[in-house]
Amino acid sequence: MSSRELRTIDEINEKIRKGEAIVVTADEMAKIVESKGVKVAAKEIDVVTTGTLGAMCSSGAIINLGHSDPPIKINRAWINNVEVSHPGAAVDLYIGATQMSETEPFEYGGGHVIEDLIKGEEVELRATAYGTDCYPRTRLETLLTKADLNQFYLLNFRNCYQRYVCATNSRDEVIYTYMGKLLPHFGNATFSGSGELSPLTKDADYETTGIGTRIFLGGAQGYVIGEGTQHNPKNRFGTIMVKGNCKKMSPEFIHGASYTNYGTTLYVGVGIPIPILNEGLAKKTGLRDEEIYTEVIDYGIPRRDRPAIRKVNYKELKSGKININDKEVKVSSLSSLKGAKLIAETLKSWIDDSKFYLTAPVERLPTDTVFKPMKQVGAVQFVESIVHTAMKCKEDEEVKSIAERIIRHSINHVVVVDDEGKLKGIVTSWDITKAVAKGKDELTDIITRRVFTTTPDEPVEAASRKLAQHNISALPVIDREKKVIGIITAEDISKLFKR
Amino acid sequence: MVKVLLKFSEEITDQPVTSQVIKEKGVTINILSAHVGQQGGEMLVEIPQEEAEGVIEAFRSRGVKVELRKLIKVDKEKCFDCGACISLCPVNVMTYDEADAVLFDEEKCLGSTCALCIDACPVRAIKLII
Repeated sequence: MSSRELRTIDEINEKIRKGEAIVVTADEMAKIVESKGVKVAAKEIDVVTTGTLGAMCSSGAIINLGHSDPPIKINRAWINNVEVSHPGAAVDLYIGATQMSETEPFEYGGGHVIEDLIKGEEVELRATAYGTDCYPRTRLETLLTKADLNQFYLLNFRNCYQRYVCATNSRDEVIYTYMGKLLPHFGNATFSGSGELSPLTKDADYETTGIGTRIFLGGAQGYVIGEGTQHNPKNRFGTIMVKGNCKKMSPEFIHGASYTNYGTTLYVGVGIPIPILNEGLAKKTGLRDEEIYTEVIDYGIPRRDRPAIRKVNYKELKSGKININDKEVKVSSLSSLKGAKLIAETLKSWIDDSKFYLTAPVERLPTDTVFKPMKQVGAVQFVESIVHTAMKCKEDEEVKSIAERIIRHSINHVVVVDDEGKLKGIVTSWDITKAVAKGKDELTDIITRRVFTTTPDEPVEAASRKLAQHNISALPVIDREKKVIGIITAEDISKLFKR
Repeated sequence: MVKVLLKFSEEITDQPVTSQVIKEKGVTINILSAHVGQQGGEMLVEIPQEEAEGVIEAFRSRGVKVELRKLIKVDKEKCFDCGACISLCPVNVMTYDEADAVLFDEEKCLGSTCALCIDACPVRAIKLII
């Protein structure tokens, strides 16, 4: 493939000025490349526009309030009961998208504050300070709209991942994640990213996107200001840091959002124009959904490295059904595909109408950054390090004999197993006490059959969360065949953390 | 128990639909009121919560229009077509149209017997009607 330069950005901008630039959306480009081939597409098309409208947690807005009289050097501040941070001097505040309201946690957060301000709504600011000779004020309460702010800029330190994974859940319970609600036993799957419309999927080698690239951001013109945090180009998980003027943005492309049991976030609309400077860029921007792959990942495993189940392409993902372990599973997007298309089309219309000109990056995004895991002191503790032998019984055992064993060994949990040692249920000393009080002798009447379990290779932190979440005091430890290996209790865990 | 309104059209009044469903599902259905004649009619019944999904499907497959007393209401002003609800729905209430907008066929909804989508909507655009 020749990468000979076909046109320069200056030449494209001249065509935009004259209203002669040929601009297509990335999904249209895929069709053109398919029907006419790369060479013809490269010759005909000047610019390809992309788009995505997805949840981007590492987003936020910087605002400047102007000075009060007497002045205040804000120490802590809240907008609509969402704490905002003060990264600089007296009256600069950063509204983080995932910061949650103190009165309505999980339902309202920084993302909603940003959306409300963009909509033109009035918000309530509260601030406290310690007071200085130059900033004597210690308390402040006022009402603000975006018109009252000096600066109101979206300043997102990680947006627009090059690709996302598809999430599913092997556990026997519903889990709530940043990839949405995942039903038990691979009951559904979710994905993000717009596939053939996705910005960094199309500029996969960051040839035209870099510092200073003018983009569509939240319905206004914004800029790429560098690589995003966790930029991981070697694994094709590139990210960008972006900035844009919120005062010009539209609530159609900025949505505060609530992910149940996860937290709040912000849906951000981003569109990047890709100038077709050579045939290589025509080929890359012409990639179709069926040529764009990601992995199906099991979010049921609460570890940094979650297991990949299979590879999947975006055509399969957008079909609504994928095959997981020979089972047909419903899959749907978390990011708005309609919004992605609308963004690519809007960006195209801006260029067609000579309202948007392309910029060459001042510096390209790095291609050699390594995304390191966190340096941790101390090793991860696993369940196997605290598991101990479980007291076991069979279903036909009498309540009285179990009561005797509980007293003799001074324990609280008895695991019910079948002849092969597989888990059938659990009985606690409390269950036994109740049975005696109510005159029940049959064990089958008091067994808890829906038992939360753990495995030897689960981190203790994850097991501990299960205990707290379900308000229980022990977890049987089982192997892959559901055979009982042992048990861990809340007491074992608290002993471990006390060490 | 789930309260459900069954609407029988004229075409199916000659078939023992309710008996068929009861036999097929082996379920006890509590008939609260019934007004069914040759021209069709309605029946208000109670179905045990855990059986509701299957029983409703069984009635619907026989041409009975099923209305649940608690259904969903979608605020299309809030909805921005993300699709987070789609993979959760067991009866395909939500689908994409050709422009990838999310369409809702509330008629199919199992309402409070399911409610999987309610807390999954990131902008809380889906509400149960109580």
